[in-house]
Amino acid sequence: MEDVEIDRQALVETFLAEAADLLAQLEQGIVALEARPDDLEQLHALFRVAHTLKGSAGLAGFDAVADIAHDLEELLDRLRARTLGADRGVVDLLLHATDALRDAVAAGGGPSRPGARAPEEPNAGTPPRTAEAAVPSAAPRRAAPSAAGRTLRVAVRKLDHMLDLSGEIGIARGRLTAMLEKGGPLAAEEILAAHRDADRLYLELQELIMKARMVPVGPVFHQHVRLVRDLASAQGKQACLAVEGGEAEVDTAVVEAIRDPLMHMVRNAVDHGIEPPEVRRGRGKDPCGRIVLRAFHEAGNIVIQVVDDGAGLPRDLIARRAQALGLLPDASRATEEEIGRLIFEPGLSTSEAVTDVSGRGVGMDVVRRNVEALRGSVSVESREGEGTCFTIRLPLTLAIIQGLLVGVAGATYILPLEAVVECAELAAEEGGGAGATGVLDLRGKPLPYLRLREMFGVPGPPPARQNVVVVQHGPSTAGVAVDVLHGESQTVIKPLWRMLQGISGFSGSSILGDGRVALILDVPGLMRETLRRSARGAA
Amino acid sequence: MSSPTDVIERQQYLAFALAGGEYAVGILKVKEILQYEELTRVPSTPRSIRGILNLRGSVIPVVDLAVKFGLPETAVTKRTCVLVVETAFGGVPTVMGLVAEAVSEVIELGPDEIEEPPAFGTRVKVDHLVGMGKVGRRFVLLLDIDKVLSAEEQELAGAAALAPPPIEAPPGEAHAP
Repeated sequence: MEDVEIDRQALVETFLAEAADLLAQLEQGIVALEARPDDLEQLHALFRVAHTLKGSAGLAGFDAVADIAHDLEELLDRLRARTLGADRGVVDLLLHATDALRDAVAAGGGPSRPGARAPEEPNAGTPPRTAEAAVPSAAPRRAAPSAAGRTLRVAVRKLDHMLDLSGEIGIARGRLTAMLEKGGPLAAEEILAAHRDADRLYLELQELIMKARMVPVGPVFHQHVRLVRDLASAQGKQACLAVEGGEAEVDTAVVEAIRDPLMHMVRNAVDHGIEPPEVRRGRGKDPCGRIVLRAFHEAGNIVIQVVDDGAGLPRDLIARRAQALGLLPDASRATEEEIGRLIFEPGLSTSEAVTDVSGRGVGMDVVRRNVEALRGSVSVESREGEGTCFTIRLPLTLAIIQGLLVGVAGATYILPLEAVVECAELAAEEGGGAGATGVLDLRGKPLPYLRLREMFGVPGPPPARQNVVVVQHGPSTAGVAVDVLHGESQTVIKPLWRMLQGISGFSGSSILGDGRVALILDVPGLMRETLRRSARGAA
Repeated sequence: MSSPTDVIERQQYLAFALAGGEYAVGILKVKEILQYEELTRVPSTPRSIRGILNLRGSVIPVVDLAVKFGLPETAVTKRTCVLVVETAFGGVPTVMGLVAEAVSEVIELGPDEIEEPPAFGTRVKVDHLVGMGKVGRRFVLLLDIDKVLSAEEQELAGAAALAPPPIEAPPGEAHAP
């Protein structure tokens, strides 16, 4: 009896993962069907998905799901037989059916037939995850896939390889232990060589694990296909979403983390970007707006773009709003760059009215903060009347970075190496100034820099020789003055403890070789601080 | 005399010395006791956050309750310890450390040995106390560690908003009405 129950648990879990996939496929297929109602191949594909879902649901004891899937199948069958056309109403019905399926999956299984063994409670056998998902029934339906996203499918071949490597590491360790235990006049080089062997294997294993964590971004992109359709039609607009480069791979944690920013940006594109069809016709555009989600790799980063062919940023309006909020001194002289920066400011919204979609002025600010929390950057390009392109750049992985260890007053901090341009010695006459910022002469060019000692409120005079690390974030560079440079090291990022996350200037922490904790400096934050302080100093 | 219910109601507390007083926390809250090692300071946090330490690979903050009670920082001696406690912030279990001058003993107290905390006369806010435990002729202040530390969190959240480097505008929550 016990074993049967455990088997069922496993079955249900497999089904839940499968159902999330199938439902996403259904949704995408239905939206695609709307664009090409005569595509018989698409209909066949949808039918197959519905049929698979019905079968699996029946097997896992999700009878309600199986029932709905059966009805969906019949509807699709009529579409296939051409006794029904895939018009808007039918597509809506199909989408509603998908929603109903999702709800039924979230509500949990358990046979509903009276003949079957009565479960102790309706949710018996389903893992707690689903039970939780079922409670907030008013919560957005999109919560379900993200909860299921905590599992990852890894090719067995990769796992085998990992196992092999860990075995080899075991052997190398044994060899090293034997050498050390034997004692005697062992050449240090011999031990070092054995250690390096083990090290190489370890690095290989690490790389393999990181690779196993890589997943394509496509599924996250495709989730928005439905969102765009629903949002656009709710506002009397027409829009479709195209996905490019969905096969580009990133760490699974990155995928989780970009879900929300992406949703904000897609919503913004529909709400602010795409114009109503009549306006678009007047401008000589296709009445159906086009939003592209694009991903590609570039120099150790993944670049994600949200492109729309809508109205573009209303720069005059943004400038005026910003001036009213005191973010901009003179609206008439705002540069393109300033406009691009301003839309990421908290509180700035150009929407005339607050809708349930966007317009509260929190969206883009959240996007920027989320992206920077991942050590990424976000920028925007826009042409009025032609469209907008948001570009997010993120590191491929969040777990490990190459860091430059620097020392300030006996404490060690880490600067992400990707942000470091160069290091230079800070001339004594330049290092002695007061205040937290200064400007130094770097090969004839002025470079603003921040003195970490002053910023962190370290008492006492700085050492005679200081160093400055030149860091880059986006287009701007700045210097960070530190006491000493300790060199490079690979560091594993630990999240900052929740209570400390509000403290600016740090993006995380890491454990040093000696077991102590070092804080990772947040380069974008420091950079803004430097620019802000030097601007204030100059004024 | 000692009926079974009586036994259940007796609870164990870990007593520790801090800033010349004796305090105690429920023993079930304490996960472990570490010898004090040098901590990593976090700039721009309140002084009561003594720093962060590496607890077998996870990074936890350490609070100096002495500073919190308005006294100078606890001086580090051979007997200084860090109590690793588990508390819940808004339902999320959180592990953090407390500096203690010295850990003295485990005491067992029944309900009849715990007095209501006095309205004044202690350094600790009354609502941060569970009560006063009577041990022989001494009184031990029984801390409600969840409350003490959640007050700490609120203070820190306030400090974060006003921290020396406020980036452009106070981050976040500037919702338009």
